[in-house]
Formats: sequence, structure tokens, C-alpha cells
Amino acid sequence: MAIIEQKGMYGEFPRCGKAHARTTHYCPGCGHGIINKLIAEACAEMGLQDSTIFVDPVGCGVFTYYYWDAAHVSAAHGRASAAATGVCRARPDAVTIAYQGDGDLGAIGFNNAFQAASRGEHFGCIFVNNSLYGMTGGQMAPTTLEGEKTTTTPFGRDPSLTGHPLHVCEVFNQLQAPTYIARVSVADTKRIYACKRAIRRVLEIQQKHQGYALLEILAPCPTNFRMDAMKAAKFCMEEMEREFPLGTFRDLENGVAGVAPTAHPESDVLAVKPVPQFPTCNDLFAVPDGIDAPSPENDPAVPERRFKFAGYGGQGILSLGICVAEAARLEKRHSLWFPSYGPEQRGGSANCSVVVSGTPIGSPAVDHPDVLVCMNQPSYERFAADVKPGGTIIVDESVPTDVPPPAGVTLRKVPAIRLAEEFGVPKAANTMMLAALRKYKVTGLDDASLETALVASFKKKPQLVEKNRELLRKAEAAFDA
Amino acid sequence: MAKPIIDEDCCKGCGRCVAACPKGCLTLTDHFNKAGLKPVAYKGEGCTGCATCFYNCPEPYALKVER
Repeated sequence: MAIIEQKGMYGEFPRCGKAHARTTHYCPGCGHGIINKLIAEACAEMGLQDSTIFVDPVGCGVFTYYYWDAAHVSAAHGRASAAATGVCRARPDAVTIAYQGDGDLGAIGFNNAFQAASRGEHFGCIFVNNSLYGMTGGQMAPTTLEGEKTTTTPFGRDPSLTGHPLHVCEVFNQLQAPTYIARVSVADTKRIYACKRAIRRVLEIQQKHQGYALLEILAPCPTNFRMDAMKAAKFCMEEMEREFPLGTFRDLENGVAGVAPTAHPESDVLAVKPVPQFPTCNDLFAVPDGIDAPSPENDPAVPERRFKFAGYGGQGILSLGICVAEAARLEKRHSLWFPSYGPEQRGGSANCSVVVSGTPIGSPAVDHPDVLVCMNQPSYERFAADVKPGGTIIVDESVPTDVPPPAGVTLRKVPAIRLAEEFGVPKAANTMMLAALRKYKVTGLDDASLETALVASFKKKPQLVEKNRELLRKAEAAFDA
Repeated sequence: MAKPIIDEDCCKGCGRCVAACPKGCLTLTDHFNKAGLKPVAYKGEGCTGCATCFYNCPEPYALKVER
């Protein structure tokens, strides 16, 4: 006797919080339930449970992490494809599956999903289309049929007012990169078995790292259709399929061509692409790794000291913060550096936080710094009031300080920008500021380690090392004068 | 003898399996389970073990099939 039963799910769903620990949160007759079962079963039967990372959406499908016995990452509304991009790049060895609904993928997250598909990211996107927003109470979604009644289209969707239904598969099929695009349904037995095969195909493509796969699944939502389960399934087959015809739009690995894939014979779409090596954060921010940087050692006698460095992008504010954090690292302190900047590259305001401590650091965020370094007026106005009593503000002399600093805070004005210009290296204003930090002894760090960190920060531009050492000396001499 | 094994308290009584069974050997009952829903029941004969009911059922543990 063989038993056919559910595979790939937890035996009980205690985190779901239902009275009965073996039932899902889905309504009776929900398409999600059938799809969840098929995905879990395929995952288990293909032996992928330990290598699959699901990216859960916002919507009724969010609670899949209660059910599927595999790894999960939960994304913000519409962002499952963006999160899956990160997951599949960070773990190219894993099978990454984004599970999204039509409110999630079709509306707020459409561009995330579309661009991920266009880039041919190595994940599978399972897109559950029930033609409306289910979880929030049945509002119109981009996929709502013309004339379909929802809570926000009580007289039926009027295309002259709210547009026509969005055909996600057809739109994605215009793209060059996707490997697989198909639309299936779970409205009846025949369709469920076709859906099962398609889900296995998506997993197989991910298992073989053959690129992006989109599987749209038409699913009934009896609650929001205001129908019983059978009428909802019938609505899927008769009304939704008229608007959204089922079929495989492309399966490049199996020779089902999408839109003109042969028009670009030199394209590597058909080839299994090597996973690119992405730069690390240390690379991006030129964090020096060539210097001897010992692991931090706990020393409760060293108090936590919090720094904020702020100015315009391009003034070297972020590098200055790295210097201080690196100097602390050289002294076996715990240190964290945390940048924050707007969309601008140069000219916009940027700041970074640095925390140095003798004990492990809880949060990299610095709301109330001990030391604030300001290179422009907006930064001074924004952060000066937050400095702790007993703290220090070092500000460039060009910044108006009409608003006095808080009581008990020392204000030091230094001619960083002017000196850098006088020395003929206007970009080195941050080195001037480092000199000021050393001179006023506000970092709690040795002069030597600050200098070593400064030198190390120029590892990619060794010709600037001596110049900056010289500038450091000249600045200190100028401050003394 | 093949037969469906039903966990009444997991069944939400949607009726998808009743409509899907090619042999028509499932039926909705008239009593309530712990969740206050009317669960499905096997009529007692006719099951071929095809598992169509299992794949149509949206609940993971309401129904399994022995064959």
C-alpha cells in the first residue's frame, strides 16, 4: 500500500496561530493552497528542499513561510523580485524562487519583476494571478478583467477609467533574456497536472542555473469573487482564460522560442551564463585590507565613542569616516562605519557614522554623536543640536554658526577648505579635518594609527600617500600657528 | 483497496475534491467539524486511488490517498 500525501511542508504549522495546527490560513477553495502544495511537493520530490530559498511576497501568499519546509526571505510589497535578485546573486548555488501575487508583481512591483526578467536573473518567479487584491479585501488589480466587479470597481472595471487588464506573460515575452515563460491554471484536474509539470520545469531550470523563469498561475479567489469554490474555478476557466490564454510562451531550453530569440545569433541567451563575481562592499568603498588589521579585543575600560561626519558628497566625508574606523581597528577596538547619502553623487549632502568601542557595538546608527565633523552648512544645521554635552563639533570656518551649539559642547572652527586650497590640493580638505581631529585629541585614538589608516586609504593611489602625509604635517603646523 | 483518508478537522468543505473525483465517490457531509465547517466524506466504495482529490484539495493535510 502506498500513501499519496503532502511532501515538502512542515508537519504542523504552529507559527500560523490557527486553532488547528495542520490547516493553512487560506479560505476554502483558495488557489494558493493548491499551488503551495504543488510547489512543496515538487521541491521535495526533486530533492531541492535544502537548497531552495523562497522569497515570499506581501499578500495572501506571504505566509508560505509557515508551510514550506525550505529557506525563506520575506520581501516588502512588490519587492520579491528585487530581493530574489539579491538572494540569487549572493547564493548562486541555491535555487531561488520568488512567489508573488498580481497586486504584488502586477502593480507596485511590476518594474522590479520586469527589470529582473530583462536582466535574466537566475531565479524563478511564480506569479499567482487571481485578478484582484485578495488579502486587502478584493480591490481592483492591474489584472482585473473588464467588467469584473471588485470592491473598488463596484459596477465592473471600466477600461475608459481604469485601463485594460495587464497581460504580464505577454509583456515579459517581449524581453530577450527570460528562459521560460508560461501561463497555467489550477481551476480543474487537467490544469492542475499541467501546473504541476510547469512548476517542476521552473525548478529544473533553476536547478540547472539556466536563467530566469516566469510562471503565471491563474488561481480562483472564492472569497473575493463572492462565489463558492466551484463557481470560482469556473470563473477562472471561462472568464479569466478568455483574457489570459494558457500556454507556454517560451521554453528556450526545450526549443520553444519566444519573441525572435534567433534574431540575435551572437546573443548568449541560450547559453548557461557564468555567475558574475560582484565587488564586495569593501571593494566599493575602497576599504583598505592591505594593512595589518588585528581582530578586535574586548576592553571594557574603553568607552564607546560615536562620531558623525557630514558634508557635501565629494568632500571626502565618507573616506574620513573610514580613516577613523580603520585607525580604531588597528588599535584592536571594535569599530563600525555606516554611510548615509542621498541620490546625488557629488554636491548632495552625505554623512557617515562611526562607532568605536572597547566592547561589541550594538547599533551602527549614531543619533547623538560625541564628535561631529561638519564641512557644510546644511550638515551643521541638521546635526549640531544632536551632539552630546561634553562633545565636540569641528566645523569648517566657511560654515556660518549663527545657531550656537548646545550647552556644554565645544565648537572648533578650522580652516580646512581654505588650507587645502592654499596647499594646492583642494580635494584634501578631509585630510585637513583629520589633522584637526588629531590636534584636538577628540578621537581617543593614537596619532600614529590615524596616519597609518590615512596612508592605507590611498592604497589605490599610492602616488598620493606622501603628499597627504605632508599635508597632514603642514595642516598641524598651520593650526599651531 | 484504495481509499481516501480524510482528516475532518483539516477539511474546509470547499467541495473541490467532490467535483473532481472521476468516480464520484466523495460527498460533503451535513455535520460540522471543529472549525465549524462541513467536511467531506468518502462514500465507502469506488475509489481507484487516482489521487485526483488530493491534488484538487487546497489543504495540505485534509486528505491523503491510500492505494
